[in-house]
Amino acid sequence: MPLTAFLGIQYDFQWSVLWTGEHGRWLVQGIWTTVRLSALGWVFAGLLGILVGALRTVPFAPLRALAVFYVEFFRNVPLLVWLFFWYFGVPQMLPRAAQDWLNVHGPEFWSVVVGLSVYHGARMSEVIRAGIQSIPKTLLEASVATGLSVGQAYRLIIIPIALRLIIPPATNESLNLLKNSSLALTVGVAELTFMTRQIETYTAKAFEALTAGTLIYLALCLGIASIMGQVERYFRIPGLIARVERAEH
Amino acid sequence: MRRVLSIVAVAMVVLGLAVTGWAAESTLEKINRTGVFTVGTRTASPPFGYINKQNEWVGFSIDLTKLVHKNIEKKLNKSIKFELKESLPATRIPLLTSGAVDLIAGTMTDTRPRRDSVDFSLTFFVTGAQFLVKEGSPIRGIQDIPGKRVGSQQGSTNERIIRERVPQAQLVVFPDQAAAFTALVQGRVDTYTNDGIQLAGLKAKASNPAEWKIVGDFYSYEPYGMAMRKNDSDFRAVVNNALMEAIEGGEYFNLYDKWFGPKGELPYPMTDDVKSFLMYQVVPK
Repeated sequence: MPLTAFLGIQYDFQWSVLWTGEHGRWLVQGIWTTVRLSALGWVFAGLLGILVGALRTVPFAPLRALAVFYVEFFRNVPLLVWLFFWYFGVPQMLPRAAQDWLNVHGPEFWSVVVGLSVYHGARMSEVIRAGIQSIPKTLLEASVATGLSVGQAYRLIIIPIALRLIIPPATNESLNLLKNSSLALTVGVAELTFMTRQIETYTAKAFEALTAGTLIYLALCLGIASIMGQVERYFRIPGLIARVERAEH
Repeated sequence: MRRVLSIVAVAMVVLGLAVTGWAAESTLEKINRTGVFTVGTRTASPPFGYINKQNEWVGFSIDLTKLVHKNIEKKLNKSIKFELKESLPATRIPLLTSGAVDLIAGTMTDTRPRRDSVDFSLTFFVTGAQFLVKEGSPIRGIQDIPGKRVGSQQGSTNERIIRERVPQAQLVVFPDQAAAFTALVQGRVDTYTNDGIQLAGLKAKASNPAEWKIVGDFYSYEPYGMAMRKNDSDFRAVVNNALMEAIEGGEYFNLYDKWFGPKGELPYPMTDDVKSFLMYQVVPK
């Protein structure tokens, strides 16, 4: 191509390596594994996050202490270290029979799901706690005054409002979770980044392979962000948050 | 707008000139200009390139590159700094093509597809691929691995061959040898496949060598060569001359004895036909 020659780039671009033969199939398999890892991680992280985030705010000290311990313990260690811990460390402590069962049921995949869920659960819980604590205490007092128990007040009033408030930081955390799933390649999971490296080692076309990975991650993340935006619009409670309105007159 | 366009135009011309200048530089010119000769090698592949108990980065391949380094200094007639960088099977070709290293010397097998991306020196070691298993394992060779979990390194020839020849084997691919060996130790994979000599190195350095055995006939031919950037005949001549002088003068066999001799790190006697092969690679002066 004349432009690349003019710029002095001596590289033979061959975009067809991305879809010829097995390489297209590898990319699709990689995307599917990444999506599965991220979806499972997101569901469990969300559940853990809501549970622990709420526990941080209840008026009962031992539960609060437990929640603080969980959050500080799991979010202050790099995720890569956690993945090695869950894949190489934890199974060693299980009984031999459990280890044998685990070895034939995809230990790589599930140790990454557990690692992602627990790590991002800790981070999500902080986001949710911030959301809950931004709700004035008067709302809890009013709910209890109408006859609801504290648990019911949380479940029916506080948490639904908190969930709407935290959609922007939660979107951020969800995108982080999707991108962090790429660390799974260090414990042998054949996800998207692994597959782009695979294409690169088989064809030596690093630029094409890594561009494919970049664009696919970009598309996945933009997709998630747009879905979250639509969720935000669908579930909004009119009048709850101050919006910049057009001047009436 | 016009100012922006003219700035962009100047930048493109400058960039084009600069990039063109960089792209045409040969390895010897680059070493001469920077004063550094960078070698990419392994950190966990005893005894070719590894960190020993005294925390030094040593190995047979590293010793051979020191001979190449001396030859480069002689050729350029000045003192050149010698640097080592870690390279893994999946990263070594990109490190070379990007210019981060000038020579890859570790455990890289010379193969025809790889010659499309890099050039190779003479073969400096000959081995083949085998399997490492725990003592008592039922696996005896490549015929036993369909259905078993086989650990391997991403980017290695072994991973590629198993994927093509035995698709029924469950290949678990790790980024490096350390992770793959830990997975084998813990039973997360049933066997680990790599070149026979590297498996012997792992076995010798394991905490309990008697626990491991290397099984199977060589299921592939793995000649090790040093890799360098393509179309760089001058540099390739310097590397090959260094190796040829070492084989002819005996320095190569001294190094071989140091690492693979009876008193070496990993006793691995050289067969007669390998010795002839090495000697025949030395073309007359």
